[in-house]
Amino acid sequence: MPQPPIYLDHAATTPVRPEVLEAMLPYFSAKFGNASSTHRWGREARAATDAARERIAACLGAEPDEICLTSGGTEADNLAVLGGWRVQQGLGRPGIVTTPIEHKAVLASAHQAAREGGEERLIAVDASGVINLDSARRHIRDDVAVVSVMWVNNETGVIQPVAELAAMAKAAGAVFHTDAVQAFGKLPVDARSIPFDFLSVSGHKFGAPKSIGAVYVRRGTALAPLFFGGTQDRGRRPGTENVPMAVALATAMELALTEREATCARLRALRDRLQASLLACVPGLVVHGCAPERVPHMLHLSVPGTDSESMLMALDLQGVAASSGSACQSGSVTPSQVLSAMGVAEDLASAAVRMSLGSLTTGEQIDRVVAVFPDVVRSARAMAGSFG
Amino acid sequence: MTGRVLVAMSGGVDSSVAAALLVRQGYDVVGVTMKLFEDGAELPDRPCCSLDATSDARRVAEQLGIPHYVLNMVDHFSRDVIADFVAEYARGRTPIPCVRCNTFTKFSDLVAKADGIDAQYVATGHYARAVDGALHRGVDDNKDQSYFLWGINRGVVKRLLLPVGEMTKKVTRALARELQLPRVADKPESQEICFVPGGDYVQILRRELGDAAPALSPGNIVTADGAVIGEHDGFARYTVGQRRGLPGGSADPLYVVALRPATREVVVGPREALLGTTLTVQGVNWLVDAPPRAGDEVQVRVRHRAPLAPATVDRIDGDAVSVSLVSPVSAISPGQSAVFYDGTKVLGGGIID
Repeated sequence: MPQPPIYLDHAATTPVRPEVLEAMLPYFSAKFGNASSTHRWGREARAATDAARERIAACLGAEPDEICLTSGGTEADNLAVLGGWRVQQGLGRPGIVTTPIEHKAVLASAHQAAREGGEERLIAVDASGVINLDSARRHIRDDVAVVSVMWVNNETGVIQPVAELAAMAKAAGAVFHTDAVQAFGKLPVDARSIPFDFLSVSGHKFGAPKSIGAVYVRRGTALAPLFFGGTQDRGRRPGTENVPMAVALATAMELALTEREATCARLRALRDRLQASLLACVPGLVVHGCAPERVPHMLHLSVPGTDSESMLMALDLQGVAASSGSACQSGSVTPSQVLSAMGVAEDLASAAVRMSLGSLTTGEQIDRVVAVFPDVVRSARAMAGSFG
Repeated sequence: MTGRVLVAMSGGVDSSVAAALLVRQGYDVVGVTMKLFEDGAELPDRPCCSLDATSDARRVAEQLGIPHYVLNMVDHFSRDVIADFVAEYARGRTPIPCVRCNTFTKFSDLVAKADGIDAQYVATGHYARAVDGALHRGVDDNKDQSYFLWGINRGVVKRLLLPVGEMTKKVTRALARELQLPRVADKPESQEICFVPGGDYVQILRRELGDAAPALSPGNIVTADGAVIGEHDGFARYTVGQRRGLPGGSADPLYVVALRPATREVVVGPREALLGTTLTVQGVNWLVDAPPRAGDEVQVRVRHRAPLAPATVDRIDGDAVSVSLVSPVSAISPGQSAVFYDGTKVLGGGIID
């Protein structure tokens, strides 16, 4: 009887929490109304959406009108980066400043801005995985519309200096966006203490379903919509409100916030144990981004002589679900652009494995991962052998 | 449990049925699709592709309830197969990339993957049979692919599982329907080289060699006695035995009988000039314990689907083998494979010089 598989890919997605599912279910059936309708069904849906927006705002230290609900992190990033840039580029600010370690949603939005006449500039990244503030200072000038730097890198888990960057952007008259998809629920995120103008979150990273997210839009910050239609969400995001998903996001955010410190302490202990044990049992194993501050649930590592593809396949066959952090549609794996930007040698950048712990992770699982890991490495080295 | 097998799944009917049969036989089946080259139609923001074939393979694996992985083998395939393909054309020869792929990619690189996951067996959808460590022709004479497999490591043969080699293509298709694999059951046969979409190999040569390469530059079309009868726009566009693209007007149809890369000449002649009775085969790989010796009689196939021709081994010098054919054979082309058989059994093979 094989043992149940182990899910170490919480940074990719998480299961919907039972409390979240329970909270959203009535809005699929009994309370099915359209929040834009005048009648009682409409009012019921409107009340739920309004309440959800208030609850989401409260979780971010924001006002309800600063919350724009989206179909997820990708739309939130597109809306902030491209929508923010399009408003300002006509005002003599063609610049868009970001980093080579952003999520594709931000990078591709910046590329799109460049195709529309924007000037894309990338901030250099230090070997530690933290962006270089001197480089940022050189790039963030008064011709920049938008600065977008993620709060937590989705591969390494390294925390970026968003407070400094937000201040820098503000001084240059640019708007500052941060993709907080991997940060929310792990770090305090408060619009009152850090002057970001836009911030993206994605529900399925912390127990809401896939395809719900939000972008925080600071009052007074102009934004060109991506979609055109009705007046929902102040015209920033037209389309009939997704009431159950709004309720789900609000519920999941509240739970994540309430449990944040306990969760972080628990996951940090497990992650540190996993890291120490793997370092002890695999000579030469490299942990990426461990010197600076890192979120407590992520472990990004490379084993010399392997490649990501072989490692992930060998892990999966041993029942351990991990990721390289940069999977693509066809399922094949390319060298990590994040690690390349950090100056990691190509052989190690092509061998990266991301393990991300979460609600499903137990100490017993960590022990089992450590127990099978030498076998996994042996397998992966054999598979990679022909690719010397 | 009969052990773990790594199945190379292309998304076609043959490898899909192979995987399904192995599942049915109780093997612990792991499916993989090899990504061998970059798909042309990519967006710059997405450096990876989702080929339809890969999706089909994944859907079949999902249906069979087996794990499926995409293996990126682009670098090695480019080095071992595509680069050789280009170099051979540049030398005025006509290569068979499938042979190189089997030798280097499927039955070497992929076997390393199998080793890594402790898979005792490797399976493909080839129409050939592995019996007691020996490689045999598939039972479907029309589909037999043993010709392409002569170069594989002998030790691998005993680890091969080739389920469709035991049946005809017709039966394979019927089984695909019976096994509820309608997605692939009626897929048309792909005869073209996988990395040469539309069969336009010259496009690949132009990309890799540049338009100014000698193999793609104009030269003379000459007869065997040296008479210039026309001009061509690159000898790499020609293959021994070819009729197309030659000047007309002569009483008998003309065929390409040889390519001379040094002088960029394409040599033409009548059909009889194509006939040959001897050939030398280089880089021979034997798949049997006791390979033939000088004086032995063998059967040889010099082209895919060509009939087996009786021959005598004249000389063996290291991995070079010279044979004399009992009856003349047409269009023996340098770069193609010559494969030696004893009945259904593949003895070995090499590249025609």
